[in-house]
Amino acid sequence: MTRSGCRRLLGPLLASALVLAASACGSGEPTADGTQPSASGSAGGPVSITVNCMPPKTNKAQRTTYEEDLAAFRKLNPDINIEKVTDAFPCYEPRTFEAKLAGGQLETVFFVNFPNVGRLVDAGQAADLTPYVGELKTFKDYNASLDIFKKDGKVYGLPTDGYGMGLVYNRDVFTKAGLDPANPPKTWAEVREAAKKISALGPGYVGFGEYSGNNVGGWHFTASLYGRGGDVVTPDGKKAAFNSPEGVAVLENLKQMRWTDDSMGSRLYIDWPALMKAMAGGRMGMMLGAPDVLISLRNDFQAKFENYAITAQPEAKALFNGGAGYMINPKATPEQIRAGLKWIEYEFLTPGKGQLDYVRAKGANLTVGQPYPDLYGADTPSGQEVLRLRSENANVAPEQFALWVEGSKGITPKAEPGPYAQEIYAILDTPMSAVLTRRDADPAKLLADAEAKVNALLAKKG
Amino acid sequence: MTTVTMRGPRRGDDPGRRRNARRRLAVRRNVTAYGFLCGALICFAFFSWYPMVREVVLSFQRTNFVDAPVWVGLENFVTVVQDAAFGPAWKNTVAFTVLALVLGYGVPFVAALVLNELRHARAYLRLVVYLPVMLPPAVGVLLFQWFYEPESGLFNQVLGFLHLPPLDWLNSTDTALVSLVIVSTWMNLGSGTLIYLAALQTIPGELYEAAELDGAGLFRRIRHITIPQTKLILLVMLLLQIVATMQVFIEPYLLTGGGPENSTVSVVYLMYQYAFNFGNINGGNALGVMLMIVLMVFSAVYLRVSREDKS
Amino acid sequence: MPNLADLTAAPATASPAPPESRPPRPRRRPRRIESEFRTAVSPHRLNSPGGRIVYWTVLVVVVVGFTAAFVFPLYWMVTGAMKSTEELVRIPPTFLPSKVTFDAYAEAWELMDLGRLLGNTALYAGGAWLFTLAVDVTAAYALSKLRPVLGKLILAMMLATLMIPPMVIMLPAYLTVKDLPLLGWDLLNTPWAIWLPAAANGFNVFLLKRFFDSIPRELLEAAEIDGATPGRILWSVVIPISRPILGVVSILTVVNAWRDFVWPLLVLTDDEKMSVSVGIANLSAQMPQNVLIASLVMASVPTIVVFLVFQRHIMAGLTAGGLKG
Repeated sequence: MTRSGCRRLLGPLLASALVLAASACGSGEPTADGTQPSASGSAGGPVSITVNCMPPKTNKAQRTTYEEDLAAFRKLNPDINIEKVTDAFPCYEPRTFEAKLAGGQLETVFFVNFPNVGRLVDAGQAADLTPYVGELKTFKDYNASLDIFKKDGKVYGLPTDGYGMGLVYNRDVFTKAGLDPANPPKTWAEVREAAKKISALGPGYVGFGEYSGNNVGGWHFTASLYGRGGDVVTPDGKKAAFNSPEGVAVLENLKQMRWTDDSMGSRLYIDWPALMKAMAGGRMGMMLGAPDVLISLRNDFQAKFENYAITAQPEAKALFNGGAGYMINPKATPEQIRAGLKWIEYEFLTPGKGQLDYVRAKGANLTVGQPYPDLYGADTPSGQEVLRLRSENANVAPEQFALWVEGSKGITPKAEPGPYAQEIYAILDTPMSAVLTRRDADPAKLLADAEAKVNALLAKKG
Repeated sequence: MTTVTMRGPRRGDDPGRRRNARRRLAVRRNVTAYGFLCGALICFAFFSWYPMVREVVLSFQRTNFVDAPVWVGLENFVTVVQDAAFGPAWKNTVAFTVLALVLGYGVPFVAALVLNELRHARAYLRLVVYLPVMLPPAVGVLLFQWFYEPESGLFNQVLGFLHLPPLDWLNSTDTALVSLVIVSTWMNLGSGTLIYLAALQTIPGELYEAAELDGAGLFRRIRHITIPQTKLILLVMLLLQIVATMQVFIEPYLLTGGGPENSTVSVVYLMYQYAFNFGNINGGNALGVMLMIVLMVFSAVYLRVSREDKS
Repeated sequence: MPNLADLTAAPATASPAPPESRPPRPRRRPRRIESEFRTAVSPHRLNSPGGRIVYWTVLVVVVVGFTAAFVFPLYWMVTGAMKSTEELVRIPPTFLPSKVTFDAYAEAWELMDLGRLLGNTALYAGGAWLFTLAVDVTAAYALSKLRPVLGKLILAMMLATLMIPPMVIMLPAYLTVKDLPLLGWDLLNTPWAIWLPAAANGFNVFLLKRFFDSIPRELLEAAEIDGATPGRILWSVVIPISRPILGVVSILTVVNAWRDFVWPLLVLTDDEKMSVSVGIANLSAQMPQNVLIASLVMASVPTIVVFLVFQRHIMAGLTAGGLKG
């Protein structure tokens, strides 16, 4: 029994020892190349950086041009080693962001969309780029889209994509409903009329589609509110400002369309792709959206691109500024920051290069002529150069975007409502879903409730 | 604890030596047992227990994962308790759990009972009932989104066929939560059914025969043999079901986004919002700790009560 | 549907049922409903004229009901992937694709490099299965039959892990995997990041321990008197009669590893190492609906096959009759 007792023990122990030994071997590999960036970053030799947001495999044309740019950039900058490029999509993944940052796995140069910029800056999760941005040739030409990346006079990121809101509509559906696609609605009253005619086409037809959950409801409420001249928070960011005649008008309008006109369908669209898919399905008349919606409908949702067009947001006094940009890992060394900025500049900010290489895009089955990214002031050298290249190589029908460009001229852009945008959007989802699901919803009361909640939130954040 | 399952060979009759031998056996048995346990202990320690402790620590800190964390006492807890969605989240979670019990607990047991009696197509039925469990959750969600479609959806088409008015399903505060319960039940029914089925098959057949000789009818046999014989698994599955449904997340996340009007916000959904959308990971941790405490207290009480019940 | 039924019913008849229970096919006029085991319904009642009617009615209702509830959705998926994007959104929906095409399947396979994703996932699921069985079976055996000091506490602590939503401890668990305490190993982008956490499954330990508890002690004592060590007893006495529960644990583990999404999303970030659910999710927002459905179908097939294989084991384990004696 004594000897067998020994053997009894030995078995499982051996097994677990094997497990541990094997896992040690298994982990050896990734650490070897995982530790390189920090080791070589500080030395005088080549700087290693990692970048994310390579276009996914589903987007073949853009992926190909991106790969070309990587190769060209490497050739141009032998002292910069872009050692890893990730193509996870969506580029900003909230579920993994914190974990990757905490674990030191976050890329040196990382993508971020506008609603999340404020809170990353606020939380100190992006590097301060102020000392370095002067080295960028086109930096001085930026328009107001840069503001969202600024805090207390410091710059924490660079926008690479930007656009103002508008009204996206389906010209084919307009024609079917007896409306003139060349003459889309200019006022909300006209939107209502058009929506009524479209939903009268039969089952499945929706005149106007709108979001109501997962924070996109509040996001579109903000866009509508800005358009009517309202504001979400007070200029000092300390109080809610949306419980106003403008805010009530947004909800009241939706309520009328939903219940009096019955022109919005009875389905709720609770996340970004849901409404996009419905719009791409060819039975929805109108939705609020920026020009990028059209391109996304074409590239990502396989819609019949030529059917869609965008016009200016009705009665707009200000345009909600959407977009995305890049920030740099707060743990990056100065050399890595410089190298990262060089890549951003090359790929996104140089007219005639990278994403702004319209000659190549034209030949690569990509659309040219959509009025975005809108990054530079119209009268700056960079802005004019981009406009010239774009119009020279345009391959989309000008009438798809012309009304938007014309109608949006001179309307002030307006940024996300501060670092707590997502919390505020979550609260504003409630009034949006209420007017779309309850016939007896009271816009004034809904907004008063939401106002109290937002005020409590902001008071706590100080 | 004191019963030695492995009796050593008998050696001499001296009581002292026997006691000694027994103690040595007990020591050896323990050493062996821990040898067998060590793999599990390592895995649990690294991947469950240590992260749990760290979770609790994080709930009392504020951290951005760049600078050193700051201890903030109960601040994170205060933040989440004051959140407007905090009350609805708990209310919905409890409502969801109760509704899911009505459907999700009884149905698999009855299904297992029936499957156990069938002599044909057993393999087919077992496969089929387990199909939803094997599909990626996204598939179930895609399907039900389509079924719930207000105009074209299968469910409303069927209701129309039966001359019943259509329902709003996911698009009304009254029905959204129930609709989620249906999806959740459909997706998870299979595991419960298979576990019950395995338990049913361990019941010795003689018990039924004896009961039959005593003149017990079918339902009495189920009540007096099937249920007592599977009682432990039934009790534990009830507990696990409650614990699992209290953690409901994927259904509201994918199907309703917490709406309409917060009517489907659950505790874990809110936790997700805090941790990943609001950039307040510590608030998420605080909610997680609260949920953990609630579930543990509930389980402890439940186990105590069910044990008293047994004795 | 008959094809599928034949196909899936095949393992049942092919399973090694005791030969004597096979009904002698010819001659018997109203075929007896054979019972392998005694269950709540008595075999005599079952074979009475009334019982027979009830039995067949219930059988038909159950088969039809289950098929409608659980197979139809699958049918919808498989055929949905054969439709064009426009047909998919048509109102009312079409129940048969107007033009059957496998383009979406081909495109999904190519686009996602599905072969590699499936290979990776098989590696993760297979390893998770091996580790779970090795770790949880030994642990449950120790807790059930060796009953060490503090055994109840350990079991309680293992069960306590079921109270924590996976989402809650995801971040701390990620940090642990990134830098294993005491050892300092980085398991990210290695299969260990899937395998080892999968083994820490309190529910499996509970299920197994529960089953082992029901094994008659005499059986083990007999082996012990013959001089078998605990390891030996586990291997040649306990495991063979525990096949039903091992089957259940196996299928739960494989399916969990296969379906799991957020955790692999975190720990397997390398393109080369992604699992199938992460790969699909990475591309799903951009994929045409029919390609998405096609990839989901193909991603689900392996688990279904694995289940079919284990189904035989479950049945074989049951028919071995170790528990009935």
